[in-house]
Amino acid sequence: MPEQPHMRQFLLYVFVLMVPCFIAWTTVGGSLATPAIGLVNQCLINWFPTVVDALYLDGSNALLMTRFGESNGEAVPLAGAEYQLGFRVNPMIVTVSVPFYTVLHFATQRATYLGSYLYGLIILYLLMIFGLLCLCLKELMVNLGGTFFEQPDVFVPNANVIGILYQFNVLIVPTLAPAIIWIWQGRNTPLLRSSLSAIANNATQDNKSGSPLKRKHSSD
Amino acid sequence: MTRFLILFMALLVSLFTLEMLVTVQDHVITPFTSLLARISAEIILPFDSSVIAYGKVLQFKDTGFAVSIESGCNGVEATIVLVAGVLAYPANWKAKALAISIGFLAVQALNLVRIISLFYLGDWNMEIFTWIHLYLWPSLIMLDVLIVFTVYLRYLSRLDQSAETGNA
Repeated sequence: MPEQPHMRQFLLYVFVLMVPCFIAWTTVGGSLATPAIGLVNQCLINWFPTVVDALYLDGSNALLMTRFGESNGEAVPLAGAEYQLGFRVNPMIVTVSVPFYTVLHFATQRATYLGSYLYGLIILYLLMIFGLLCLCLKELMVNLGGTFFEQPDVFVPNANVIGILYQFNVLIVPTLAPAIIWIWQGRNTPLLRSSLSAIANNATQDNKSGSPLKRKHSSD
Repeated sequence: MTRFLILFMALLVSLFTLEMLVTVQDHVITPFTSLLARISAEIILPFDSSVIAYGKVLQFKDTGFAVSIESGCNGVEATIVLVAGVLAYPANWKAKALAISIGFLAVQALNLVRIISLFYLGDWNMEIFTWIHLYLWPSLIMLDVLIVFTVYLRYLSRLDQSAETGNA
């Protein structure tokens, strides 16, 4: 079958699947991130034992509770405060990769669907854990400031590193990761085979004698 | 393929870090984002005279509702992904420049649709605005990048095939 109909079919399925997949994901809400929240909770309370109390799911959001309270806009020890200081984290910012990947995966004609889909979800889940960790670090950095950075005997990443990791995991990873996994898993599908074999061929030829386009000009 | 992916990731992280620099934000990103707000207002004005743009902000004069176009909403990150993909792929510089130029226009054209649609959605219903703004539109923009990149690969593939036919 020529490639153009595959592309049209893919785009049609993408738009057909997009709305139900995103609605289903919204219905599930933050609970999709529950295992990731549990793992990040363990990571944070072991990394920052004097700062982080717990991270847990609260409705569709996660709550990052600290070991501080608040008094006149300042973080104070919990014993001297009326309320425990906590920050809301939106895990759906990182879990949005799941419906997008689902749409791309099932809109592409392929021999088998489920095995590679589960494999892709595992990779996305690992990225989600790291993304959620970056979201929490950013909340701690912005809201606790010096209290967070000046923990004795604890390695705290540089503010710029946290900032860039946060932006990267919010703006790029949730949509790019599904796209890369889709391309990798779809390299043998009718939709992508010829385009991606061109990458492989060009890379091989490029190693030998420059890009195919350069070879064309030189042969001219 | 592995070489392509490594080069792509290296370029992506470098370009993204460059974009985050305060100097680049002040002298390139913020003026570009303000330009997007003005272009959006120019597109809307013939149909709706109640819209004004100042800085990165687009506002309804009557209801007072306004949106500020921030990082992630200006299409720069999507363009960076496309540029990294095109630069990482082995081809001549003319083809790369053409792909980046056309790809940039394709991303920004869809991004203007995103800005204008979100502007009206926000004035109507904030919950729907938030959902579509945070989750749906970023996926659509990345889909746009994927399509542009796939079309570019096919263009190169056809050039290669025609060159081989010519040689034969």
